[in-house]
Amino acid sequence: MKNEQFNDRNISNDYFKVDIADYPTTDWGKFKCALDRTFKLELLVGLWVVLREMFKFNTHTVKYPEEKMPIGPRYRAVHEMKRLWESDTERCIGCGLCEKICISNCIRIDTKIDENSRKEVSEYSINLGRCIFCGYCAEVCPELAIVHGGEYENASDQREHFVMYEDMLTPLDKMKAGTQSEFEGFGAITPHEEERVKKTPLAY
Amino acid sequence: MINFKINGISLEANKGETILTAARRNDIYIPTMCYISKTTPCGSCRMCVVEVQGVDGFILSCNTPAVEGAEITTNSVALENERVNIMKLYDVNHPLECGVCDKSGECDLQNKTLEFNIEKQNFSTRDISRDRQNWGLINYNPSLCILCEKCVHVCNENIGDDAIEIKVGGYSSIIVPKDADYLDCTFCGECIAVCPVGALVSSDFEYSANAWELSRVPATCAHCSAGCPLEYETKHTGVNGMDEIYRVKNNFEFSSLCGAGRFGYDFDNSAPKNSDAFDKAISSIKNAEAIRFSSIITNEEAHILELIKDRLGIKLFNDDARKFAEFMKAYSSVSGKLHHSGSLEAIKQADAAIIIGSRIATDNPGVRYALTTAARHNGAKIVYAHPMEDVLMQNVITQFMKYEVGTEEGVMAVLAHAILADADLDESEKAFFDDLDLGYIYAETNIGDEELEDMMKSFARSKNRVLIIGNDVIAHECSANIAKLAALIEKYSNFCVVIVPREINTLGVSLINTLDKDEDLENVVGYNANGSFVISSLEGSDLAVPALNQQEGSVVNIDNRVLPTNVALKFNGYTLNNIANALGIKKDNTIDYTKELNQDTGFKSVLFDDLENYLAKMGEDIRGYILDEVVCEANGKLDKLDDLPEYNGTIVYHCDPVLQFNAHTNETKQLEKDNFLRGSAQFCVAARISDGDMIELSFGNIKIQREFKLDSELKGTIALNPTYDIGIDANRYRFDKSKIVRVVQ
Repeated sequence: MKNEQFNDRNISNDYFKVDIADYPTTDWGKFKCALDRTFKLELLVGLWVVLREMFKFNTHTVKYPEEKMPIGPRYRAVHEMKRLWESDTERCIGCGLCEKICISNCIRIDTKIDENSRKEVSEYSINLGRCIFCGYCAEVCPELAIVHGGEYENASDQREHFVMYEDMLTPLDKMKAGTQSEFEGFGAITPHEEERVKKTPLAY
Repeated sequence: MINFKINGISLEANKGETILTAARRNDIYIPTMCYISKTTPCGSCRMCVVEVQGVDGFILSCNTPAVEGAEITTNSVALENERVNIMKLYDVNHPLECGVCDKSGECDLQNKTLEFNIEKQNFSTRDISRDRQNWGLINYNPSLCILCEKCVHVCNENIGDDAIEIKVGGYSSIIVPKDADYLDCTFCGECIAVCPVGALVSSDFEYSANAWELSRVPATCAHCSAGCPLEYETKHTGVNGMDEIYRVKNNFEFSSLCGAGRFGYDFDNSAPKNSDAFDKAISSIKNAEAIRFSSIITNEEAHILELIKDRLGIKLFNDDARKFAEFMKAYSSVSGKLHHSGSLEAIKQADAAIIIGSRIATDNPGVRYALTTAARHNGAKIVYAHPMEDVLMQNVITQFMKYEVGTEEGVMAVLAHAILADADLDESEKAFFDDLDLGYIYAETNIGDEELEDMMKSFARSKNRVLIIGNDVIAHECSANIAKLAALIEKYSNFCVVIVPREINTLGVSLINTLDKDEDLENVVGYNANGSFVISSLEGSDLAVPALNQQEGSVVNIDNRVLPTNVALKFNGYTLNNIANALGIKKDNTIDYTKELNQDTGFKSVLFDDLENYLAKMGEDIRGYILDEVVCEANGKLDKLDDLPEYNGTIVYHCDPVLQFNAHTNETKQLEKDNFLRGSAQFCVAARISDGDMIELSFGNIKIQREFKLDSELKGTIALNPTYDIGIDANRYRFDKSKIVRVVQ
């Protein structure tokens, strides 16, 4: 077996070397360099490039906020509480594991027995001012009731104002419409990620 | 000793010891489902089967004693299959609600299911609908019940309520209240504690927290002198709330807990810090002539009070401990020992017991449970001497010896006379018994000669005898002579004596403090007691101090054991130690005094942090330490018996209802606050009142209003008057001649 294909670490023939002069080493060379930089107005060359490209309307960056990148399912933004598909009731069974595992101590939960002798979550709060979005709560949840959402556009002068329990919970109309998004599982990749994956440049 | 082998390991067992206990003692694991150490094995689960070489079939290790030379295998393939099949049967249709179940992982069924790797249900049957039942403080969910019978056995063998039984019906078997539609018991909650699954749960706790959310604080129950070990489990309340006690647990494998301990935990003081009140307290103590305090305090607090007494030269009042100390002094003057010889363990091991002067089931449930255990396990003969019968003790006692109110001295004299008939007494003692006018005493006490003969006959073959002495006697006018008689019985017979202190630390206070006789002075600071300035953990105090579940310190219980207790809930305010510091008695912490407790009375110089608080592997009680025995001079002489007093008319007996003990239990949320005056139909006639009447009760110089309740379980002309809500002078003999007037509303 030949190793050529492995030894060739150039991923593309489009790569080329840029001709950059070395730094001057002599005192005269250094003096000339300083003079050039001061008086040849090379700065404007760069600015001109930006200006020129701007009017070409050929940008390569995402035009946020009109355009948004798809968010990976593993992204850990503000939490969401899911509902059961069968009955639209909350999935949370009040086991309190999220509260127990929370390393920044920001989850508090209170449960009680309801009139049908079932366990009811009477209070649930996440202090997002303390939350470090580590994802342990979602990981420990035995019912996939608490998950991290992808909603990263929060603005408030206090982080704890980001969300209330009612906002975390999937709204009932969304349940009726059957559009509750499901956590795809740990290790799930971002949508269309496969198309975007290129051969990793390994030459270094 | 018996030598045998388990899995090739040589072991020694005591004679009569079962294979299971010998194995457990030697850390050899045999799985069990229904076994509980404090009851006799019922053998319903058959998980503990073992193979014995040379014996066909499987042997139940829980109820088979080890025999010399036996070779036992605990883990063959056949045994494994047997156990797996048992587990499969246990798991049939068991609801898969482990995520919400109150057991939250502390579940025997879950553990064993995982241990034996039961992944699917091979057996099946049509599931039936079973309704959850509410039994007051206890909820029962039959679908979770695995019918291990633990609850039934502890209720019968350890508690003595005998309130539940199995309604047999194959797959549809359930636990039901015995001979009743609803559960009528003392609500000790021991069935909740032993339930291996979430079938029996506390109705207050149900679904309010999970095991992993609660922090455990080992402590000692503060309600009566039994000083039972327990663990407070705390958690914050709600989203922003402070910590609260959610439930109480105990080491149910070996010890029992009454309902007051289990459900009456929320007597903590949440009053805010008040520095003005503190300053006032300091000046009131400086101006005070005396401090009056209750025995519901720690040894360290009692020691601080003693130091304050020394520094300020004021008096200390605590009639409860003073009466107890006087009783013990008279007792020691004959027995030659400072402490009584018995303990709860001695009662459990006893095969004969006399109990006198106490309605013990409500005075000290710990003693009652020990007596029940003795009756069930050793077939103990139990003589219950009291003017009133007690339904709660009915199925435990073997002989009820009814005596007339006030004649305790005579009763003790004839008891001693009967017990010490053949004893080698000295001259003066012999003279005392010769002087007794037996005819007169039999007539006045109403105890017959033949009753005593019956008693002695039933005791004939017993080896471990206990004499239990209750509070009626301690508060009695002639308590000193009674104490001497008790000491005499102990000295010349094989009886050991247990004297039941009234409150959790009556015994400790009586050993630490030098107490003065209570006088009605003007400037008395009350510490958890009445006074012109009240420092108390109860509501309505002038300065708030922490309750016993908010303090660390030690108490002395009925076993003469110094028990540590810890802080379950924080208290944001001042303690007695802060007051002492302000008065110039400097120490950083209250528990710094633990090693300085009065060593003349048996305390050891041990640091608080060195006191253990748990039961060991086989149930050995290694909490704290037992007071050193102190020998004292035995020069007491018996006094000649005076005429016995007579009590006629409507008599009330100051006695708390089940689960109530004092003002602290009165503050708790779950315990029933039954404050009726209870009397029999005969009492109704004598007092000319009827059921439901509002009455004014007067005795001594006290007048209170209560509702009267006719109690069909009572007999005779004595009514029961609760004291937990009004508080009663500990100095007072518990039977009182009273005047009862109907109040017209």
